[in-house]
Amino acid sequence: MKLIAKYNRVNIPITIFVLLISSVAYYFILHFVLLNQVDKDLRVEQQEIIHHIKVNGTLPATSNYKDRQIKFQPTNLTHVKEKFSTESIYNKKEDEDEPFRRIDFLVTQNAQNYMATVEKSEQETEDIVQLILIITFAVIAVLLFILFVSNRFLLGKLWKPFNHTLNQLKDFNLYSTNEIILQPTNVDEFVELNETAILLTQKVRSDYDSLKSFTGNASHEIQTPLAIIKNKIEILSQSEHLDESQVKIINSLNEAASRLSRLNQSLLLLTKIENRQFEQTQGIDLSSVLNKCIENFQEAAELKGIDIEKNIKENISVVMNDSLADIVLSNIILNAIKHNYQGGNIKVNLDEHSLTVSNTGYEPKLQPAELFERFKKDSSSQDSLGLGLSIVKTIADSYGFPVAYYYREQRHILEIKFH
Amino acid sequence: MRILIIEDEKALSESINEYLSVHEYTCEMAEDYHSAVMKIEYNTYDCILLDITLPGGNGLKILEHIKEDNKTEGVLIISAKDSLDDKIKGLNLGADDYLSKPFHLSELNARIAAIIRRKNFDGNSTIQFENLCIDTQNKSVTVEDNPVELTKKEYELLLYFVANKKRLISKEAIAEHLWGNEMSGSFDFIYTHIKNLRKKLMDAGDADYIKSVYGMGYKFTG
Repeated sequence: MKLIAKYNRVNIPITIFVLLISSVAYYFILHFVLLNQVDKDLRVEQQEIIHHIKVNGTLPATSNYKDRQIKFQPTNLTHVKEKFSTESIYNKKEDEDEPFRRIDFLVTQNAQNYMATVEKSEQETEDIVQLILIITFAVIAVLLFILFVSNRFLLGKLWKPFNHTLNQLKDFNLYSTNEIILQPTNVDEFVELNETAILLTQKVRSDYDSLKSFTGNASHEIQTPLAIIKNKIEILSQSEHLDESQVKIINSLNEAASRLSRLNQSLLLLTKIENRQFEQTQGIDLSSVLNKCIENFQEAAELKGIDIEKNIKENISVVMNDSLADIVLSNIILNAIKHNYQGGNIKVNLDEHSLTVSNTGYEPKLQPAELFERFKKDSSSQDSLGLGLSIVKTIADSYGFPVAYYYREQRHILEIKFH
Repeated sequence: MRILIIEDEKALSESINEYLSVHEYTCEMAEDYHSAVMKIEYNTYDCILLDITLPGGNGLKILEHIKEDNKTEGVLIISAKDSLDDKIKGLNLGADDYLSKPFHLSELNARIAAIIRRKNFDGNSTIQFENLCIDTQNKSVTVEDNPVELTKKEYELLLYFVANKKRLISKEAIAEHLWGNEMSGSFDFIYTHIKNLRKKLMDAGDADYIKSVYGMGYKFTG
């Protein structure tokens, strides 16, 4: 959820709730104040009537205006508490009930008690209250609308430096030398964010560089002594005067050195792939790489009487480093030949979605998942390091291509999907 | 044929020297950047073996130097830095080939032979070994004028043998030469290839050129 949505989710209900509560309170307070005003007017009328009786000794004339009525009613009661009340009176003209405020009180004229009633229409005050409420609601609505719109535009503008920084970080690529460029901003939080982002990317880059140079150095340091050992063995084996026991020793030395050398190269390759040192942004023609690779192993397959059935769609382009593509395909095809029996067959399928290589072969002793682990291998294959499939998987993973292996109907099936 | 070995690791350059000297090569050695530049300045070689990491400067600089001076030497880069960058840079700068350490001396020898063959190509594209004749232009092989039909790998294998004639070539070196790194370590296919090649050569003439040596490897002799 976006920050603004989360903020609005809390902010808008609270605003509406507070505004509603306050408008209800506002209504009642306003109503009370205006009613008080009407009551004051009624009391002024009452004073005038009492004054009139005292001065003139007569009851004032009753009046019956639309919004103000004075009535007298003879009564025998001697003590009546004066009383304010509200009643609804039907208004013929407007065809609706109209609220009236009235005061009832006792007056005495010539020893005769009268119940005096002064009534005043409340319609006006009601109208005022209504008007005020309508204005209030309109203001609330306008306010909310303006808040909503301004949040949209203002926040979009406020967050701009943040979004810019975020995009720069998304585009940040260790393998290219482009530094991230951040927008200057005067918002403290964003300034801090930018400073941190720059520090972080610099640190990542320097760490990565030192790792890269370490890998390169390790490779150089190990490969050179290995090269010397291997070459010296090769020179030694040229000697004309070797007896059988010496030959055996030389053979063992040679095997061990070669194994070590292959191991070192494979591990360095794996490390390099995992360090993403093979940057690639362009597509390569996988169809032609695959065809070349099959051609390279064609004769080896024929020697084992293995038939390779090709179903390769032309011009399949995949974004991949060409050396790595070659390593993956060589490993897969070679595996399909090695883990096959005399007179078996291999089916190679390539289209824009996936590469599938299936071959006849004996049931594997390892679980499918174990096959991709480093140094896992069938004990029968002594000449393999158990790194082939692991390299295939690491390379595929580095490009986000899912790899699946299964054994079905006496066939080993390896599938790589491209997406 | 004169060859300059530019390599700071003495043990390595000595091995190379020893292996190549048996063939018709005369080797000179340079151990650092400056002596290498001096040697190239005053001498002409048929092929230069160039290590990239050298004391005193980068080997790629030497390559630039050679190309700027329009020298005709073939250049084979030998480097432990098998990083793609160096390989691509080297080949772009005009190196003829690239070999990463560790390598088999027999492979190095075959690559040098191929470079020199390309450089000195003046109408003569045949390699003669006793009764055996290989035309590298047409990729055809004859024994005592009888044509021998070889498969692609058998042809490559024969060329490799002839380049390293009279030397012991390990099974490993053959496997890597024919199929690349992925194949090294499994030799089943080599046995069959060699058996077939030997039979074809024997059928055409009657010499058995390929000798197995104690399970270490093979030797191509007359």
